[in-house]
Amino acid sequence: MASTSIEIGAEIPSVTKSVTTASILQCETCAILDRENIHNSEERAKERWGTTYTLASGRMSIAFASESMRKFFGPDVFHHTGSVNLKFLRPVKNGDTITVTGKVSSQRQVEQGTEIVVELLCENQNKDRTAAGIGTAIV
Amino acid sequence: MAEQPLKILDYDKLEIGEELGSYEYVLTQEMLDNYRQSIDDPDAAFPTLAVKHDGTALNMVYNDTTGGVNAGNEVEFFNPPVPGKKIFVKGRIADKYLRRDKPYLVIEATAVDEDVNLLERLKTYQMKKPDEVGKKWHPQA
Repeated sequence: MASTSIEIGAEIPSVTKSVTTASILQCETCAILDRENIHNSEERAKERWGTTYTLASGRMSIAFASESMRKFFGPDVFHHTGSVNLKFLRPVKNGDTITVTGKVSSQRQVEQGTEIVVELLCENQNKDRTAAGIGTAIV
Repeated sequence: MAEQPLKILDYDKLEIGEELGSYEYVLTQEMLDNYRQSIDDPDAAFPTLAVKHDGTALNMVYNDTTGGVNAGNEVEFFNPPVPGKKIFVKGRIADKYLRRDKPYLVIEATAVDEDVNLLERLKTYQMKKPDEVGKKWHPQA
């Protein structure tokens, strides 16, 4: 588990994920509102984005980044003090392979301990940035 | 979830702090399994992410005919949800602003379980001109 001896520049474990139409659709089945959108309907995706395919929800990238963060800090820390904040830069679709990387960029004292800030990056198989942002956890 | 007539979403009339839908549901093991399989992470603990608490809260109140591009998500984790337990969700409009002449809407949802454990707070930054992003990434379409 992480401690306050975490160094600036430390790399968190990278995760690489294959995104498929099946995984996009399966993720959408978790929603409790039965509604067509650009993630589960090619028609809606075409209408809204002009694509011929569905797009992955940004929440999938949040989930991938959360896995990287959890592997670094441990679930006991990350599941109770963690956060992930990503901006989505490019669409993710069937056939893409997304790799999450991250480096500790800063830390500061807070009431509950030391907040560690990690710069997060998601890239596809072409090394294009699909999302970027930060994750935090308190150790 | 209680049925109520939907209002047409008019960006200009939305108010920061405005309450969106509140609802409850039971998280099932099947939802957790589906989520874990979809993201290929057998230890993932927050299927609530894919439930889309904030978007659901918005869509319970508004008929959003414009749609929106998810420009970003911000999630805070407090306690993993437990399958079989009831989850209570409250949504609100956290912010709205213009950036580079594009209208953004920030919706937020907070989830607690039946034991009043705070689970997760999720924000979605929606850009409310989705056709412009479509042109940017798919100019040939």
